[in-house]
Amino acid sequence: MKLLSRCRVGLVAIGLLASAFAVGSVLGKTNTSKPNAERLAIKQVDQAARQVDELIAAEVFQPETKLAPRIDDATYLRRVWLDIVGDIPTPEHVTAFVLDPVKDKRERVVNELLDKPQYGQNWARYWRDVILSRRLEDRAQLVSNALVADLTEMLNANDSWDKIASEFITATGDIRENGATAILAAQDARTDETAAEMSRIFLGIQIQCCQCHNHPYDHWKREQFHELAAFFPRMALRPVQSPTRRTFELISDDRPEIPGRANPNAQNRRGKPEHYMPDLKDPAAKGKKMQPKFFLTSATLPFGTPDSERRGTVAEWMTANPWFATALVNRMWGELLGEGFYQPIDDIGPDRKASAPKAVAALSRNFAGSGYDVKWLIRTICATEAYQRESRPRREADGTPFVANVAQPLRSDQLFNAILTAIDVDEPKESANRRGRPPEAGKPYGQNATVRQGFEVAFGYDPSDPRETVVSSIPQALALMNGVRINLAVRAIGKETMLGRQMDEIKDNGALVEELYLRTLSREPTEAEVNSALAYCKETKNRTAVFEDLLWALLNSSEFSHRR
Amino acid sequence: MNLILEHHVHARTNCDCVVDRRDFLRVAAAAGAAAGMMSWTDAICLSAEDLRKRGMACILLWMGGGPSQFETFSPKPGHENGGETKAISTAVSGIQIADSLPKCAAAMNDIAIIRSMTSKEGSHPRATFLLHHGYLPMGGVKFPTLGSHVAQQLSTPGFDLPSFVRIGGRRGDAGGAGFLGVDYDPFILQNPEAKPENTQPATRDERYARRMKMLEQVEANFGKVEGTDLVADHQKLIKKSSKMILSSKMEAFDLGRESDKMRDAYGRTRFGAGCLLARRLVEAGVTFVEVNQDGWDTHDNNFERVKTNNGTIDQPMAQLITDLRQRGMLEKTLVIWMGEFGRTPRINARGGRDHYPRAFNVALAGGGIRGGQVIGETDAGGQDVTKRPVAVSDLFRTIYTTLGINADHENMSRIGRPIKIVDGGQLIHELLG
Repeated sequence: MKLLSRCRVGLVAIGLLASAFAVGSVLGKTNTSKPNAERLAIKQVDQAARQVDELIAAEVFQPETKLAPRIDDATYLRRVWLDIVGDIPTPEHVTAFVLDPVKDKRERVVNELLDKPQYGQNWARYWRDVILSRRLEDRAQLVSNALVADLTEMLNANDSWDKIASEFITATGDIRENGATAILAAQDARTDETAAEMSRIFLGIQIQCCQCHNHPYDHWKREQFHELAAFFPRMALRPVQSPTRRTFELISDDRPEIPGRANPNAQNRRGKPEHYMPDLKDPAAKGKKMQPKFFLTSATLPFGTPDSERRGTVAEWMTANPWFATALVNRMWGELLGEGFYQPIDDIGPDRKASAPKAVAALSRNFAGSGYDVKWLIRTICATEAYQRESRPRREADGTPFVANVAQPLRSDQLFNAILTAIDVDEPKESANRRGRPPEAGKPYGQNATVRQGFEVAFGYDPSDPRETVVSSIPQALALMNGVRINLAVRAIGKETMLGRQMDEIKDNGALVEELYLRTLSREPTEAEVNSALAYCKETKNRTAVFEDLLWALLNSSEFSHRR
Repeated sequence: MNLILEHHVHARTNCDCVVDRRDFLRVAAAAGAAAGMMSWTDAICLSAEDLRKRGMACILLWMGGGPSQFETFSPKPGHENGGETKAISTAVSGIQIADSLPKCAAAMNDIAIIRSMTSKEGSHPRATFLLHHGYLPMGGVKFPTLGSHVAQQLSTPGFDLPSFVRIGGRRGDAGGAGFLGVDYDPFILQNPEAKPENTQPATRDERYARRMKMLEQVEANFGKVEGTDLVADHQKLIKKSSKMILSSKMEAFDLGRESDKMRDAYGRTRFGAGCLLARRLVEAGVTFVEVNQDGWDTHDNNFERVKTNNGTIDQPMAQLITDLRQRGMLEKTLVIWMGEFGRTPRINARGGRDHYPRAFNVALAGGGIRGGQVIGETDAGGQDVTKRPVAVSDLFRTIYTTLGINADHENMSRIGRPIKIVDGGQLIHELLG
């Protein structure tokens, strides 16, 4: 044992030195570098987690600040299940976990969940929502299935975030085959829009406000936006000529420009060799030719650079920049804690103020030092005290951040998974539609929609929107209250439904109440909750109706549709 | 009034940390916008503008695909571009429209046609977005659509029914409430002849009431400490949804309550039912109803297809205007007939017309606008606008102003950016009564 731990220490030391070099070379590319000795990356998850907690406490808390207590085991289990694999634990999981005497069970369950294929699928769907919520045209949804499939694979293989980002920035090919074309497909391969989204998603810097004018508050200038756009003009999204498949292809287009007037209504079927910044005083004129220049480092590429080199180089420069690490750190922190260090979650950068600057800087440094290891980041965040605090209502504007976690509304996929698990039903197989063809990729409407897609349409939201603006709507409430499927699902029908089976097995009403709470809310009911349910049983002879109504109430409750 | 104040407080306390000037502006503006543009002292001194705004409603008849102006309201029978389409006289001397719209021709006294609409957008998604929002799509901003803006500005808070209803059509480019929030999202139903989805309570009376009580009890624990605001909002939403589906006003959705004669007058088509439902909803107090009719994208077999479409819309549209007039509702209800663009003057090899935003037409009625007129002109072949071009922003500014809404009013986008209801544009004075 001691030998192993000494080896481990040795490895950690080597790791620290190696990451110091890595961090140093990363910092060397920016204009604001500090001596390397002060900025060694921490690789050990628990050490890094402790560091974040200490920095937050130092920067943000006062001696009298009231911190929410640590959550109990059952709450922790449901929380990490939803956060990592997007589903709820079954009663068996809950009981086993709560009764487990092992000290490091919380760390262990996080690792187990990260090893499940559902981890990659859950977060691939998250990124699908992030990317496709901003699509310019509905046809971009054709990329949806490939995006989820490819990104699931990359995340489960734990590809580093810089590798994943580079794939998305430099992708080409059929959008139904190559999911990495997703951002380009969503933005229709348009130059300005692509540049804006790449910056928002991977750097967290919303530079698109200066598309038309200098940013009113930030120091970015219009030229800088268009210099960034100049990395992306040589692309086109073309329909693929095929009698059987409807799809589009993202191509690099390095051909010279055709002289003469371009058709203004052309569907962007050609790239342009160079990008021109429109002349505000003369919109019909061609504008000023822009040299590709990365606004964070002022590094440039010459005119005439081919597409693969433009996008390849800007991918390198973006992923090497410290804001790249911070963008993901802030987003993951925001998703898991209910509030980012910077708010909105995708609006960071040198002109923004973080609520705990040293904490986010340290965590970003460590994330970069880990080699942009996404699972490492999730492990670390889940290991912090901050993450493990009980939820409290979202704080007021002048409240202290991170004194508690904040309950999050489930994404449509998570809600769908949770309902299926609660009622113990497998996901309906995607059957062929009436014309005998399988459901089209990502198509949300009409006969071709799967039940999951129906949920997406009803309950989907843009995860980059400030979470407090994501509010339930009347149609959503009605769907859960009166929807045919939900009401069928809560029925006790012989042995066909979960409730039917449970009512048959469990004759004691109190125990049945407990079972239903465990299945839906992944916790035991309080005594008061049991009593109030039993009171209804006394009122009426119809035991079945009472328990159907209880199950209905549980599935409709806020506690069910949120991650506590 | 209570709900307005509640909304005001809600907007303030849901704000992020007010750190710098920009946040402060965002908080203040959001609170202001949420309070309904007026302080309570303003609300007490009701201005004339306010009185006029009261009770205004809007029905949008959306012709999806881009209806050919040559075969609807702007025929060119004397020119080869007009193709085989004949023109007929209308109730207004000097105005002629396509012969397959005879009932609209009879109602022309109430209808104003803008023949000089012009835009640069010829792709369905962008043009549909533009002609619904008055803005082109921009990644960083979730623009509200016309119906959501109107609902936010005009609807009565606490009203039983949704203030914006969309019948048919597809989501996506037609848009929703964007940064205005879900309260102003359209309530969508595909089939006007059936009850809206999920509005049939799954259980009745006693059992329904028991479910509501159980739900309240089940949520209580979460609502005590961890999710106080979430549970409070959810209970409000459940009560609002319940109020809606249990309200007698839901009868408005029931076309079975109309006489056979009335149903025949609107025509027994889906669009006819949609128009009738729109009238019923506006009558019940709904602020904005959008009725969709697709099938106008006639790249081939243009003449036959548009004639068929006209056969579908002519009777209901004319009947809607007549019905509104007979019920004394026409002055307060603006009816808009439009699609995302027009179609090419040149007839293509498949007997069709392709997309043409450069010169197209829009028709309006009611809402106090001056009917029985044509605004703007195109050349003999319908290629270009020769007189009085009308941009989309002009149209939108005029629509909002007609409804009593300040087109320059600014709302706050999600990242604290002020967005005017309409950006620029000139009022079309010829329309205003």
